Amino acid sequence: MPIVLSTAPAEAERPVSDTRSELQTPWVTIVWNDPVNLMSYVTYVFQSYFSYPRPAAEKLMHDVHTKGRAVVSTGSLEEMERDTEAMHGFGLWATFSQDR
Amino acid sequence: MARRFRRSHKGITVSLDEVEVDLLARLFADVAGMLAPVDSEDADPLAAMVGITEDARMPDDPALARLLPDANRDDPDAAAEFRRFTERGLRDRKTEGLATAAATLDRGQPLTLSDDEARAWLTALTDVRLVVAERLGLRTDDDTEALHLELADLPDGDPRAWLGAVYDFLTWLQESLAEVLLAGLPDSDATGA
Repeated sequence: MPIVLSTAPAEAERPVSDTRSELQTPWVTIVWNDPVNLMSYVTYVFQSYFSYPRPAAEKLMHDVHTKGRAVVSTGSLEEMERDTEAMHGFGLWATFSQDR
Repeated sequence: MARRFRRSHKGITVSLDEVEVDLLARLFADVAGMLAPVDSEDADPLAAMVGITEDARMPDDPALARLLPDANRDDPDAAAEFRRFTERGLRDRKTEGLATAAATLDRGQPLTLSDDEARAWLTALTDVRLVVAERLGLRTDDDTEALHLELADLPDGDPRAWLGAVYDFLTWLQESLAEVLLAGLPDSDATGA
């Protein structure tokens, strides 16, 4: 687990409005398609790690396969870093970014 | 010839022949070897101890880069920062999973795994398949289809044909294990309580 990964440095020059919108904009974890990971495996990972019901896990798996990517979780930066790290542990190609 | 993974009253079982056991042992060990951290001579030992890789960057080997990918596509600084703090742990966890899977190969056949061991196998097979796929140049779904057409024309004994056959074996093996583990999770909208 990253301990200090999300400790954002103080940025005095950043306008207040910007900071507020940053706080309000959720972060997302995206899983990208690859030719290696099996549909059954990806479904298994989404269901077992995120505790999604089978139909939701299958839909996300299908989106990754057909659309090339899917947002698999939404939340704080810390949570998305944790989810991305977990997906890498499973060998899925995941990234985190701000949901704009 | 292997017989697929199945769940029995004893656990999750699979039958592998001697050649398959040797092949899997080599692949698990090879990939674990690739994942061994490379500490530069001037690395801060304290940082390394708490799992920080000061000079972490995307590995040059594309197969290793696939195991340890960048976590942010838009922001190289965020990707580098994430790598500093997580790459060491990720290498260690993958190595541990590969070692867990490899250790079970010493048992007699048929091989019986606990659920924890089966989960380690499932991810270890993913990591091995990612490496073999990269060595075969499989980057898109179309590449995989093209490979199968190509393999049909390659002569027996061709190294690429051999690696392609290894990949197909690993895929088949992993598919049967993923199905067994997926069948252990609730398959309806019920949350499994």
